Amino acid sequence: MDLGLDVAERNGHAVLSVTGEVDVYTAPQFREQLIQLVDQGHRSIVVDLEGVEFLDSTGLGVLVGGLKRVRSHDGDLALVCTQRRILKVLEITGLTKVFTIHDSIDAAVGG
Amino acid sequence: MTELIELEIPALPEFVGIARMAVAALAGVRPGLEYDRVDDLRIVISEACTSAIEAFGTSAEPPARVRLRCQDGPDRLEVSVAGPAGAFDSAVASDGDDRDSGFRISLIRALVDEADVQTTPGGSELRFVVHRGSVAHAGDLPA
Repeated sequence: MDLGLDVAERNGHAVLSVTGEVDVYTAPQFREQLIQLVDQGHRSIVVDLEGVEFLDSTGLGVLVGGLKRVRSHDGDLALVCTQRRILKVLEITGLTKVFTIHDSIDAAVGG
Repeated sequence: MTELIELEIPALPEFVGIARMAVAALAGVRPGLEYDRVDDLRIVISEACTSAIEAFGTSAEPPARVRLRCQDGPDRLEVSVAGPAGAFDSAVASDGDDRDSGFRISLIRALVDEADVQTTPGGSELRFVVHRGSVAHAGDLPA
């Protein structure tokens, strides 16, 4: 079970593309990467979930933790997600109201 | 006929994926569970095993074991996941920072047809059921 984390800069946004399965085993790497981005001074983070095959509450916790961290520096963290099964998890937990969710990376970094 | 399948994994994070895969494969042996519902089941297995592993802690040597007991029948698949006492209580209370376990109980309740926690002589057990041929919707289930 692999987790892929790829960081790119687009229009002043840090885009973190996540691939694979996010669970209790892989979440620490994901959390560490988000912490690192904020520590490096990124204030606009886009997490691309299009390549995520599995996400449970541990992964949601990492996303919320990242959002809190970047917001405490007056920044923001948005998501890119069109996958129905991931959106379902975000909907059940009420997180579609917490995160701005875009259809594509272009849409997320365009504004 | 209902078949009993038991699976035991070391209480370590790297084995949660194995439990998900095994139960998802089992769920597909008989007809009646759509792909989406098997996906839901994978999430609930993950939540249950994670709760048990967190409650056991990862310092025990050798690691504790998480036991999954699946009863697979023509109309329903029932899974019990055993953990230490209180393992699944944590699913209802947030422990702060970025580990909001409130998400866990929301997912469990929304994604299976029945879920309850039972105290057992050796600890506690989260039991849940998916009915073959039914569709669970968030909010349908009693608290």
